[in-house]
Amino acid sequence: MPASDILPVNQTIGGVSEQLTGIPLHFPARRRWLIAMTIASLLLALFVVSVVALFTRGVGIWGINVPVTWAFAIHNYVWWLGIGHAGTLISALLLLTGSEWRNSLNRFAETMTLFAVVCAGIYPVLHLGRPWYLYWMFPYPATMGVWPQFRSPLEWDIWAVLTYLSVSVLFWYTGLIPDLADARDRAKKRGWQIFFGVASLGWRGSAVHWMRWSQAYRIMAAIAVPLVVSVHSEISLLFAASQIPGWHSTLFPPYFVLGAAFSGFAVVSIIAVALRTMFDLKNLVTERHLDLLGKVLLATGLMTAYGYVFEIFDVLYSGNAHDLQTMIDRLTGAYAWTYWSAVFFNFVVLQALWWRPARRTPWALLLISASVVIGMWLERYMILVTSLYRDFLVSSWSKFTPSFWDWSTYFGTIGLFLVPFLLAIRFIPSISIFETEKTLADEKEAHHG
Amino acid sequence: MADASYGLLAEFRNENELVLAAQSARREGYTSLDAFTPFPVEQLAAPLHFRDTRLPRLGFLGGVFGFVSALAVQAYVSWAYPLNVGGRPLYPFSAYGVVMFELTVLFSVLFLFVGLLYLIKLPRLNYPVFNASRFRLASKDRFFLCIKADDQKFDSNSTAAFLKNAGAVTVELVPS
Amino acid sequence: MTKPRQWTSLEELEHDPALQSWVAAEYPAAATLEPVARREFIKLMAASFALAGLTGCEKSPFTTALPYVDQPDAATIGVPRYYATAVTLDGYAQPVLATTYDGRPTKLDGLPGHPVNKGRSDAFMQAAILQLYDPDRAQQPSYRNEPISWQDLVGKFSALRDQWKATQGASVRLLVEPYTSPTLQRQISEWLAEFPKTKIHLHDPTGLQDRRALTAAAYGEPFDLHYRLDRCGTVISFDDDFLGPGPHQVGNAIRWSEARRGEGKPGIHLYCAESIPGATGAMAAMRIAVDASRMSVLADTLAVKIGVKAVAAPGLSKDEALWVSRAADAIRNAPDKALVTSGLGAGRETASRVAQINQAIGAPGRTLAFTKPANDLSSSGSFAALIDDIHSGAVETLVIINSNPAYSAPGALNFSDTMARVACTIHIGQQRDETGSLCTYQLASTHSLESWSDALAVDGTATIIQPTVTPFYDVRTDHQIIEMLLGHGDIAADAPVKETWRARFGDVFEDRWRQALHDGFVAGNSAPVIPQPQNSVEAINADNSGEVDVVFRLDPAVWDGRFSNVGWLQELPKPLTTLTWDNVITVSPGMAKRNGLDNGDHVEVAVNGRSISGPVWILPGQATNTISLALGYGRRRAGRVGDRIGYDAYSIRPVDYPWRARGTILKRDGSSELASTQLHHRLEGFDFVREVTEQHPALPPPPSQASMYPAWPSAKHAWGMVIDLDTCIGCNACVVACTAENNVPVVGKDQVIAGREMHWLRIARYYSGEPETPHSYFQPIPCMQCEDAPCEMGCPVHATTHSPEGVNQMVYNRCIGTRTCSSYCPYKVRRFNFYDYRNAPESPEQAAHNPDVTLRSRGVMEKCTYCTQRIEAAHAAADKEGRDLREGDIITACQSACPTEAIVFGDINDPNSKISKLRRSGRHYALLEELGTRPRTTYLARWNDSPDDTERT
Repeated sequence: MPASDILPVNQTIGGVSEQLTGIPLHFPARRRWLIAMTIASLLLALFVVSVVALFTRGVGIWGINVPVTWAFAIHNYVWWLGIGHAGTLISALLLLTGSEWRNSLNRFAETMTLFAVVCAGIYPVLHLGRPWYLYWMFPYPATMGVWPQFRSPLEWDIWAVLTYLSVSVLFWYTGLIPDLADARDRAKKRGWQIFFGVASLGWRGSAVHWMRWSQAYRIMAAIAVPLVVSVHSEISLLFAASQIPGWHSTLFPPYFVLGAAFSGFAVVSIIAVALRTMFDLKNLVTERHLDLLGKVLLATGLMTAYGYVFEIFDVLYSGNAHDLQTMIDRLTGAYAWTYWSAVFFNFVVLQALWWRPARRTPWALLLISASVVIGMWLERYMILVTSLYRDFLVSSWSKFTPSFWDWSTYFGTIGLFLVPFLLAIRFIPSISIFETEKTLADEKEAHHG
Repeated sequence: MADASYGLLAEFRNENELVLAAQSARREGYTSLDAFTPFPVEQLAAPLHFRDTRLPRLGFLGGVFGFVSALAVQAYVSWAYPLNVGGRPLYPFSAYGVVMFELTVLFSVLFLFVGLLYLIKLPRLNYPVFNASRFRLASKDRFFLCIKADDQKFDSNSTAAFLKNAGAVTVELVPS
Repeated sequence: MTKPRQWTSLEELEHDPALQSWVAAEYPAAATLEPVARREFIKLMAASFALAGLTGCEKSPFTTALPYVDQPDAATIGVPRYYATAVTLDGYAQPVLATTYDGRPTKLDGLPGHPVNKGRSDAFMQAAILQLYDPDRAQQPSYRNEPISWQDLVGKFSALRDQWKATQGASVRLLVEPYTSPTLQRQISEWLAEFPKTKIHLHDPTGLQDRRALTAAAYGEPFDLHYRLDRCGTVISFDDDFLGPGPHQVGNAIRWSEARRGEGKPGIHLYCAESIPGATGAMAAMRIAVDASRMSVLADTLAVKIGVKAVAAPGLSKDEALWVSRAADAIRNAPDKALVTSGLGAGRETASRVAQINQAIGAPGRTLAFTKPANDLSSSGSFAALIDDIHSGAVETLVIINSNPAYSAPGALNFSDTMARVACTIHIGQQRDETGSLCTYQLASTHSLESWSDALAVDGTATIIQPTVTPFYDVRTDHQIIEMLLGHGDIAADAPVKETWRARFGDVFEDRWRQALHDGFVAGNSAPVIPQPQNSVEAINADNSGEVDVVFRLDPAVWDGRFSNVGWLQELPKPLTTLTWDNVITVSPGMAKRNGLDNGDHVEVAVNGRSISGPVWILPGQATNTISLALGYGRRRAGRVGDRIGYDAYSIRPVDYPWRARGTILKRDGSSELASTQLHHRLEGFDFVREVTEQHPALPPPPSQASMYPAWPSAKHAWGMVIDLDTCIGCNACVVACTAENNVPVVGKDQVIAGREMHWLRIARYYSGEPETPHSYFQPIPCMQCEDAPCEMGCPVHATTHSPEGVNQMVYNRCIGTRTCSSYCPYKVRRFNFYDYRNAPESPEQAAHNPDVTLRSRGVMEKCTYCTQRIEAAHAAADKEGRDLREGDIITACQSACPTEAIVFGDINDPNSKISKLRRSGRHYALLEELGTRPRTTYLARWNDSPDDTERT
């Protein structure tokens, strides 16, 4: 979109710089932050306890069995990774499309991505029966004389997630360097100056550097976009590559990617609203931003809904008895509640976003986004369990009930996400300063000329 | 004294003034220019004569490297361990595809990042311009043009005068 | 080897000088401890040794002993030795070939060439080996629950003998369970010679004597019946589950399957009237659910139809009438190939009527053989009589030989308290069980596999039981103990047996003895006779008290309770219900509806005044007004595995006729979670089990499956398996055999409830049709060994790949436990070690493990391997002899166990192999063919021989 009034022009770019570097330098919301941090730390502690229990006693502490050999570990893995996708999409895709409104959001969206991917990445490790042999998944001249098996979607996962994590980190840091320099120059205390000075690698904003930087940054963005799409398509192959009814469908890659973006944008909206109030950023994260986020959420949500519809059509069209049985089971079986509550939280609540005020009211957007996050979680649960607990042979039909440790590990990962995220917004500029300044400068330009 | 200096640093209020100043400096025949801005300013490319495509080419190189190495590793495993896995072909290129793509991206980005730091000679924590009293503002809301002392047309007085005329708010001699 | 000295208390052990010195040597630090602290320390150590069953500084016999019976000259460690011997069930010999490694028996298989079981086996025979290693066995004799040495016992016994002499043994009673051992017979007659007034009493929880009583009622004197199923074309069964568990199962199953295979169509058709669904009904051409007490009515009607003069029966329901007329038609079509049978539940009146029908159709001598009981126990006194004698004070000494009446006697007789009135009680048995713990003397006896003894198979063929291992514990054989009681001292274990057979073999003793030990049996069985049935069918005045028929059944997993402490059997999914670790009260769907019952709900069952309560299980196909109770549970002193599981049906078992009674059922509050391995049994219209009929004897040919990939080249041999669903009777022998062969762990009830049972081979039970009149199917499901295996493709670390011979291999030590393979497996035949399921390192069960099969650790996937260890062994053997593998070189464990040869393993590359022929059959099909996994394990469709040719699946 053109650089029109996305930001109020009654502010100077210097003011923006002061305001945003001021967040780490003169932290405005100490009390709220401490409360949030306490809760997050407790959750993290819960995570540590759960992992210790897991590693000492084995995956048997979870509710899994045969046939439901995969459950929480994989389904939360998919869920977290999906959330991560929004960050990259916002910063990379919208950068390429020149949508300047993304400049107020991309930084914390990317930060969110990093730690969401970390949470996702830890699950396949916890999931292993013998996690201490994780390294067998990597190609190295093993003394056993055996190498990884590259036909396995699980092997693809490892590479996809690692690549995604590394690329996200590099992309995030590349964009961060100039802001660190800004913070360095605004800092009065020695400690801050050293911290930001070192972190900014001595960036001095030389025009030539800026030009090389732009080359690198834009190419990274151009590569990151297909990467995001590939990663979740590939995750979906973890299921689609099997023959299990309810998984074995060509619909899965787009279905998963859209769902991922959907849940991701929901989390971005939540964070946007939270930071906006926490750090009083109404002048930078404007109602206009919320409005746009709401629209994106609605769009991705409707695309995901299309996935639901087409999945059913697919089954009816193919007429495969096993697929049909699984579908009927999803809609009416023991776990039908997951399907229908997923539909409700994902799509019914979402419809409020057609209404402009709902998009522009922070708390409304917050609630709707929260419902989407829950809904997508239920969807992943539904896809995992309903396909496995009743697959082909009636004689192997079983049931699945999550154990205490399933839940504790899951809530623990939320702590694993929140703690570093809270640290990040505490110690580094959580909104891209120079890009916001640029947007503002362009706008002023447009207004004068 | 002059040769002891790094150059003259002129401060401007906004990017347009900076761009204009840079262009006129170029017209005046100054060649050793640099500018410092809070955010990227595309219009400076022309006056600073910047047309370097090494970085994009590095990125491409990285991509090729990742692509080839991924193919090599996977093909090697199939070659060294010709195991029958579920009756699938020994060289399943469709399956190789995923990892090949991932590594293409990974190495391309790695090359870009390392290449960037290499080309802009960072990290380097000290640099003459940092000694300029108002340079801190370069990262905030001020735009600086620097005419370096190694420019054969450089003369501390005339150049300073020129910059004043070009509309500089302040002009400062930066010691090296 | 030196026998480990036994202890009873840690205190005793802690004072053991051997241990003290050992501790001093091994733990010098302990010496520096304060005396008290030191005592504690040794106590603790002792506790841990106690688990290991080792004493002082000796190593565990299970881990180090090489207890060869006779040390072979050149023993190669790791090369198995085989012994032909037998284990017993209900006193009958079950001839086995025992595999021993380094002197430790690890596997039992049917004895090849034996006239009865022809090398086949059943679940009990397979599991008997675990009783040998039962950690809860009585490990030494005890007197008033204090340990005592055999030497001291010899002294005490002589004192006892003097008392007995005084009364010529009038005050002495021997209590036995049905037995066939010629040596025991000889010893008892010896006993009677010495103490003529001694009375023998029989305790018979498993019904051998009751069955003979039925024949006695029908023919005037007791006989053993033998069904010549191989000569039958039609069998009508009234509540007689002759294909079900028991000493006769293997023999019957073999004969039935021989007849069933026929030429191009099934050669034998079963017509079953069943009150409780069983294997026989599941295989029937026409089955009808009839209350136990109505069996005689149907029998009468059949008799009328066949032309036996009999009272016309009261009216039958439409279904009953149809069934009877179909059965009658079948008999008339080929009376010379017909047989009618009746079971214990059907009662005396039915048995007599059936005898007349058989007589009328000329079955005796043709399809029905009679033998006089090899050891007629009918002369011995009844158990009830013993109780009366005890009350009358006539009994001062009671010798209980291998019986556990304190548990398995009808509760009404209250044996435990009655026994307390006897001055001196002597218990000979392997366990200090409910009875043993109450007795003055508990004389720990040996397991068959460490005994010298003898026994007869069901057909009367004798087997000389030889030890496969020296006893681990300070125990004696039954015969040794009786010799002791007779005052012959502590003699060698084989002496009594040799004495018996010296008399029989005469002067060629040595040769025939060696021959008998080598063959595992002594040729020659009981001669058949042809008796005349009595014409009068004694009319039983039917007991009409109560509302429902209560049928008592021996449990298919733990039998009468003797296998309660065997984990393999406790975790064995019972036929039809697939329940483990519990016994239930089965009710019909109709009764469940009437009383608002759901699986697991508690009910109270009352039979003449006494009642038990337990969880119900709704069993499709059960007769509406019949409920069945399973014996063998609710044990109090079985051991750590079998104690306090389920309800004790003996406590309400009637005294006069313990197999059927009238009773009431009442819903109680509460319900319990039952460990069933299969939650859903309806076929839901899928064609997992396919059927053919005589009209359409061949299945439609499979659709050709194009593949984008070139096929992998096969090695010279390509292993495959074909399972004939038409002859699988769901007996579970294969499952236990697989468990024993492959060291499959026992995971316990809670893990089974969690859905984590480890059986590599499961028998899927399905039924189609209405719950009241279902058709039941058994489908053994091992790994399909798919040629295009989805599981292998999913493994990220090459932990499961394909062997050139087409076996889907699982590399345990490479597995990292992603469980992708299991998720991708369409047959869900893979099993995962969610916890560390292995036995404790020092548990005696360790010794039962097959050394050729790796134990799987926590976090590792495992699955059926077609017994790859056997394949490799065969390869090695063939290579040594410089020849190629031959048909029959490789027999998988499940295949060798299967009594009906329903499982066939072999080389599908060899067009002449048995399996290749079967794969060309019109009944051949692959499970989930449409998935294109190209399974190597395939099936033969079942014959639907229902006379009305109803489409069932």
